[in-house]
Amino acid sequence: MTEDDVLEILNLIEKSGFDFFQLQTGDLKLVVSKGGYMGSGTVAFANDTAPAAQPAAAEAKKEAAAAQPKPKAPVVRDGTVPINAPMVGTFYITPEPGAPPFVEVGKRIDEDTTMGLIEVMKVFNAVKSGVRGVIAEICVQGGEFVEYGQTLFLVKPEGSTLKSRPRVSAGRPTSKGKR
Amino acid sequence: MAISRVLVANRGEIALRVIKACRALGIESVLAVSEADRESLPARSADHVVGIGPARATESYLKVEAIIAAALSSGSDALHPGYGFLAERPELAEACAGKKIKFIGPGAESIRQMGNKLLARELARSCGIPLIPGSEKVGNLKEAARIAKDVGFPMLLKAAAGGGGRGIKIVRERAELQGAFETAGAEARAAFGDETLYIERYIPNARHIEVQVVGDRFGSVIHVGERDCSLQRRHQKVIEEAPAYSISEALREEIRTAAVTIAAKIKYENAGTIEFILDQDSGRFYFLEMNTRIQVEHPITEAITGIDLVREQIRIADGHRLSLSQPEVKFSGHAIECRITAESAQDGFRPSPGRISRWNPSSGPDIRVDSHGYEGYTVPPFYDSLLAKLIVRADSRVRAVARMQQALEDFTVSGIETTIPFLYMVVCQLEYIRGRVNTKWLEGMLESVPLPTRGPDRTARQEESP
Repeated sequence: MTEDDVLEILNLIEKSGFDFFQLQTGDLKLVVSKGGYMGSGTVAFANDTAPAAQPAAAEAKKEAAAAQPKPKAPVVRDGTVPINAPMVGTFYITPEPGAPPFVEVGKRIDEDTTMGLIEVMKVFNAVKSGVRGVIAEICVQGGEFVEYGQTLFLVKPEGSTLKSRPRVSAGRPTSKGKR
Repeated sequence: MAISRVLVANRGEIALRVIKACRALGIESVLAVSEADRESLPARSADHVVGIGPARATESYLKVEAIIAAALSSGSDALHPGYGFLAERPELAEACAGKKIKFIGPGAESIRQMGNKLLARELARSCGIPLIPGSEKVGNLKEAARIAKDVGFPMLLKAAAGGGGRGIKIVRERAELQGAFETAGAEARAAFGDETLYIERYIPNARHIEVQVVGDRFGSVIHVGERDCSLQRRHQKVIEEAPAYSISEALREEIRTAAVTIAAKIKYENAGTIEFILDQDSGRFYFLEMNTRIQVEHPITEAITGIDLVREQIRIADGHRLSLSQPEVKFSGHAIECRITAESAQDGFRPSPGRISRWNPSSGPDIRVDSHGYEGYTVPPFYDSLLAKLIVRADSRVRAVARMQQALEDFTVSGIETTIPFLYMVVCQLEYIRGRVNTKWLEGMLESVPLPTRGPDRTARQEESP
């Protein structure tokens, strides 16, 4: 089969109602998909076009979960809730070098307040407070390398979040067991 | 005096690539490592290892003094900067020259001239190479508004000191101009230490085509063909191919000639890449920028020409003539490279450092994997997420795509998330297989169906993407 033949077949696929097509002829095996990004039924690695890959992917998840590092023990202090690092990386307390810090001790914050940035693999991730209250203590220094789960801030909670568990809105790396 | 020992001032797959090239030439390699890279594969492969500082790149790989000290203390007579880090900082090339260390790359003057995008544009103009309609330095908002009238919206505000997809801001309409002008200037100052901006027309239906050139100190400059790098995300290349596809032979020849003209004009020495934007609506091409270093995607050029570009780099730095002339450069087949990164595409491309519990790269005829990964390796969180480059070659583009699909299916990594499943999805797309893409196609595909889960909020401090 020539290149032109294959292109002709691709033309037909385009006009057809098929969303998914596997062309196998001689030594050529070509998978053709018409859109759908990781939606149900079109996930390439959960599809029958790649049967070998499915268990591998499942295994990858399991192993990723197993390889999940143990979170660093958070700091506990009566009357405060910790804000813990949602991921490993370099913690920055200012938006730019030399700029004023995002927050300071005594500052009143709500759940959506940006507390700092964590840089991991050249990507900067905003750390959201996840809790309403007043900052009691800043436990790390700007530029410090922090581990997953390490306490960054202690907050005296206020209002409705008093009884709720502290949460870290950015990242939440444990929810899927993936790191 | 012939080069006998090369300091490799980089890490990851490119460090390994350079070490292997040295070995093939019978040259010793010394690897400069940060604390985080002492157990890396390149550290195990190099003949010698020198510690240069803590994990953080600003205190190790980005420190000119530390790199130079490592070269001197190890008795290296040459230095390869790889890509990224200090590769395009004229200060390193200069410092090498001052210490009689052969810098495996162009001279500091070439780096400086091409590093400033406005100077580079001026140079291209003087060679008669078409430029994207735009401006020279834009001094203030009033001036920007005046230029915007001629250029039209949407347009791009670019940092003169930017490059490699960084320092670019899209301005969609007049009302956005003031805000964009102010933030782009501030960001350029913060990221590059230079707030100079210029304006370029935005070309919506564009392909990114770049030409690999090599030159020696005797004034010979040749091209080694072009690459199509239109599949990008946030201005970062994801999949590259050689040669450029679905363009006429006449246009291909024109673009190659333009590249050689620019490189010859500055008497360019060593390997470099001239990038162009092809407007698919008008069929016209424009000069974009020049990269004065080896590129990440150089293996696809090697795959279709049989030329070892890193080896050629070392020979040129050692004062040799180019090992071949233009007519001796022969092209055969089609090559594709996928950049496999340690990121979770499903989760907003969240970085995924950690320990690799299983590592099973694809292999076979016409399949090449350039990677520093291995079973048991812990991908550190400090650096770029590039983990492996998967390169395939075949007689035709369709066959190369088919081979890439198979190679991605065969590539198994456990313990960390990688972009392998995402890349597989991309190379199965009908539009991709037919070659009907532009520089926005990949992001459009990602947007067309919302991702199932959202990653953490991202704040790109340095790379600004529209």
